[in-house]
Amino acid sequence: MLKTPDWGMMIVLYFFFGGIAGGAYFTAAVADNVGGPRSSRVALVGYLLSLPLVALCGLLLIADLGVPTRFLNMMRTLKFWDPMSLGAWAVGVFGLFSFVSSVMCFGPFEHMARLRRRIGLIGMLFGFFLASYTGVLLSATAQPFWSEGRLMGALFLASGASTGMAAVSLILALTGGGSNPGLAKVKHADRYSMIIELVVLALFLALLGSAARPIVSGHFAPLFWGGLVALGLVVPLVLDFVGHGRKALGALAAVLVLVGGFILRYVIVMSIQS
Amino acid sequence: MARTLAMFTDTSLCIGCRACQVACKQWNELGMEQPEWTGSYQNHAHFTDSTFRLVRFMEAPGASPSGDLAWLLMSDVCKHCADAGCLDACPTGAIYRTEFGTVNINQDTCNGCRYCVSSCPFGVVSFNEHTGTARKCTFCNDRIHNGLGPACAKACPTESIQFGFRDELVAKAGKRVETLKAMGFKDAQLYGADQKGFLGGLNAFFLLLAKPSTYNLPENPKVPQRNVVVDSLLSIGSAVLVGLGALLAFRDRGRGDGGGHA
Repeated sequence: MLKTPDWGMMIVLYFFFGGIAGGAYFTAAVADNVGGPRSSRVALVGYLLSLPLVALCGLLLIADLGVPTRFLNMMRTLKFWDPMSLGAWAVGVFGLFSFVSSVMCFGPFEHMARLRRRIGLIGMLFGFFLASYTGVLLSATAQPFWSEGRLMGALFLASGASTGMAAVSLILALTGGGSNPGLAKVKHADRYSMIIELVVLALFLALLGSAARPIVSGHFAPLFWGGLVALGLVVPLVLDFVGHGRKALGALAAVLVLVGGFILRYVIVMSIQS
Repeated sequence: MARTLAMFTDTSLCIGCRACQVACKQWNELGMEQPEWTGSYQNHAHFTDSTFRLVRFMEAPGASPSGDLAWLLMSDVCKHCADAGCLDACPTGAIYRTEFGTVNINQDTCNGCRYCVSSCPFGVVSFNEHTGTARKCTFCNDRIHNGLGPACAKACPTESIQFGFRDELVAKAGKRVETLKAMGFKDAQLYGADQKGFLGGLNAFFLLLAKPSTYNLPENPKVPQRNVVVDSLLSIGSAVLVGLGALLAFRDRGRGDGGGHA
């Protein structure tokens, strides 16, 4: 009886990249504010990574519309109780913060580091919003699987932070030579995020109960249990603990986290629409 | 706001002729569709972007007054909910409430994000691939603004679909339930008539001869947006935890290499 919205790969990718953009910006802002000079590369990479991703997010959202040329109609209203309306605005506002923070990492703005840090603290909140509102958006629908676990937003946030950190750490590992203290800190933070994500995921499934059927059993179950829980969360955590700073293992763990983050959005969006 | 208008569909009077379905298609110029085999006389299985009225045919064992199989008919339509999930979900303002209390989609404003489609508790709103917009019953918006009732109500030969002021129709419907109960239809009940009930009451409400689930209707539909506050607070909780984790990881632990001004 219920109808699903036919959201496909573009929306899955939007949820995925939005999470990374928000998470990367948040990582950068924390590194910028409390990490000291040894974390300055983390801040640079995080800010700069969020910018193209949020731009891509905007394009994906517009391309998915039934009438893409009418995308500006989203800006006709602002509804505080409507995640779709707030989200459209948040992509724009976060994009602005991402742009300003990125520009302020360079050239004539370099001496304005204190201002950049302050801006980062505010922009970080919009980053959090971008990473989590997509989960709240799904839960504000009539679909039981999307709406009956109260932790969809919390789960997307933890996953967004974790994938953002993984992406930043991967870039640091691939571009930086020698030992990088910033990289170790991002990995450290990512471990906390992954543990939080695992706990939130367990609570989420418990709250959903039988409504979790679309992902815990059936077609999508192997992808969910194998791809997300095992390969995307447990294996990277183990790799990080036993790998002890070995770069290749760290990079592998980061790739797995990113794959897991994608699978999370994929199974949640697609499992009730196929 | 003008006095609220309503449609009352008394399923006990429906003979399944589908004049309403045809009248709706004709007046609203909705194209034809490939028929579907649903296992009964019902066609189509669900509302579509060009089927706004749909006569449902239900075979319900044990639901007749004598305890036999009941053949239940119900002309279904958009409920024009007082608390409408689609309207609250719409980020462009394309979905609006008219001065008569009905819910309508402005086709010139809708940009096809499809959030309303997933927010309707009844699966009414449908996406049209050709226009790229969401479509549903308009309560014959053009007709009611020109002193005419909706095409479906006009065409109904048994007055199963009645159009009028909501308060008057609710009073009439209440009496009809009493009559049916006296005739032995013990499960006769109104669906969506009560403005204190679910979704603030439906402006297209129904008289059913069995419990709502027999008609595949939700017993207690909820406004989807009810979840936004709790879920947002829990997301903030998650953000605080993740933030604390990152603070712990990035703090310089007094190694004396500067930074840490926060």
